[in-house]
Amino acid sequence: MTQLLAGRNLALGAEGLAEHVRRLGPLPVPGPSFIEVLERSGLKGRGGAAYQAGMKWRSVEAQSNGAAVVIVNGAEGEPRSLKDRLLMTTRPHLILDGAFLAAKAVRAKQVVLYIGEDHRAAHDSMARALAERTNEERRLVRTVAAPARYVAGASSAAVHLVDAGIATPTTTPPSAHQRGVDGAPTLVQNVETLAQVALIARTGSPTGTHLVTVAGGVSRPGVLEIQSQTTIADAVELAGGPSEPSEAVLLGGYFGTWIRAASAWGLALDHDALRARGLSLGCGVIGVLPGSRCVVCEVAGIMRYLASESSAQCGPCFFGLRALADACTRIAEGGTDHLDLQRLQRWSAEVSGRGACHHPDGAVMFLQSALNTFPEEFAGHRAHLRRSA
Amino acid sequence: MSDTLLWYTTRGAGAVSLVLLTAVVVLGILSALRVQAAGWPRFLTTGLHRNLALMTLVFLALHIITAVVDPFTHLGWLTAVVPFSSSYRTLWLGLGTIAFELLLAIVVTSLARGLIGHAAWRMVHWLTYASWPVAVIHGIGTGTDTLSAWLLVITVACVVAVIAAIGLRLTARPRDPLKEPRTTFQAAVQRPETR
Repeated sequence: MTQLLAGRNLALGAEGLAEHVRRLGPLPVPGPSFIEVLERSGLKGRGGAAYQAGMKWRSVEAQSNGAAVVIVNGAEGEPRSLKDRLLMTTRPHLILDGAFLAAKAVRAKQVVLYIGEDHRAAHDSMARALAERTNEERRLVRTVAAPARYVAGASSAAVHLVDAGIATPTTTPPSAHQRGVDGAPTLVQNVETLAQVALIARTGSPTGTHLVTVAGGVSRPGVLEIQSQTTIADAVELAGGPSEPSEAVLLGGYFGTWIRAASAWGLALDHDALRARGLSLGCGVIGVLPGSRCVVCEVAGIMRYLASESSAQCGPCFFGLRALADACTRIAEGGTDHLDLQRLQRWSAEVSGRGACHHPDGAVMFLQSALNTFPEEFAGHRAHLRRSA
Repeated sequence: MSDTLLWYTTRGAGAVSLVLLTAVVVLGILSALRVQAAGWPRFLTTGLHRNLALMTLVFLALHIITAVVDPFTHLGWLTAVVPFSSSYRTLWLGLGTIAFELLLAIVVTSLARGLIGHAAWRMVHWLTYASWPVAVIHGIGTGTDTLSAWLLVITVACVVAVIAAIGLRLTARPRDPLKEPRTTFQAAVQRPETR
């Protein structure tokens, strides 16, 4: 079965149009029932929220009137994720195929390539690939640099940047597929999702694979394309194995879930199987915490990062995440304080659901997952002495 | 349930509602002033404001239901909805109905803020300054207990609290603490050339 990263060696860089067409055949013209094919395929968004792609396309198509916009989301603001960049750098024509299929299917008047401004190689590869496409296709496209901030990858932030030149998230509902750029329905779709679409158009079904980034304490951190029966242990093994014994895995990036290593290794990286356990593959980051690192300190550091990434539009998010991060930091630096532990619980409830976007909710879910998975570590944390060199 | 118990419940729930509503109003004004302390970050004020407002509705429901079902006054359910429709203390009860309906509008628009937008929500929220005084006048006017010392003390304390909070709000010029971080963040994510 075809895979996303099939074809030439990834180290050789981007696959050109001629090679892409030789390998996969020309881009098929989508029939009127293509959205139905997509719905039947069950393809879910690969940006993190795992929203049914077919449902989004259906909604945009229904309200399009030929004015819809397609945003190709390659912002990849998730600090540990690399998979979107790798895909843009090595298989740009798969993404463009998916984007143009989307534009036809939802009768869009514009396609926006929204690429993280720090991802130079990805940007150059996409630009070169675009130059190889037909005039008709090129006329549809404009490229916009996504600011290198965590919230910039949110679909409402992408729409806001294209609309008003500022990548802050806005209130939802209405979501982008209801009311996006210039008020027109806007399909914001992650680059990996669009690459899957390009293969579905040719074979009728998704590859059954996912791109994941294995990060942290492994010998060869990086991107893998995995089958859904692959376990976390398999993925870690494929990434060269643990570089030192590990106690904990953070699955799905900073809005993801902590799992103790003992129960993590056997987990299959399958959307439905994970969902049944209340887990999610999210943006596909498998973060392996090296055993020598303290989980409480790690959580505090990530909470400070997420607090600093608040766009300061909503008080509960800006002040709430800061208060939560400060309490975490006090515990990490000064040892467990039961008042602060209680505050973490109380304040989490006060912050969740109180922002215009889901940034505070994601951060609170991250913190709750840490508190639930590592109750002893948080209840009995002692201040570390700086390790002598 | 005996009639006397209903009657006592109506009066008690009314007094509790007054205290709760006053607390909600004062917290609302304080949150606009952005009052906070080390162990009490500001988002807790708004959380308490919201929860107390919902609790006020519970006691108001008790106040209204027990008053209506009390056979002595013969109020009927219409009184709870249509102002000045009762033959018993027409003016004072009518004011109560008005205060209640204003409050209901404020709570419903707050729960639906995501749908109606910030501007519309804010406009309706200004009605608080009508709802609270009307409720206080309703309490004084209807009041079986107005001249009893305990309710007198409560009413005066509530009025003083709200006047003090409004006074503070008018004199202190609250600074928007989000303004600076927001500007900084927006500068970081602004790409005007993409227009």
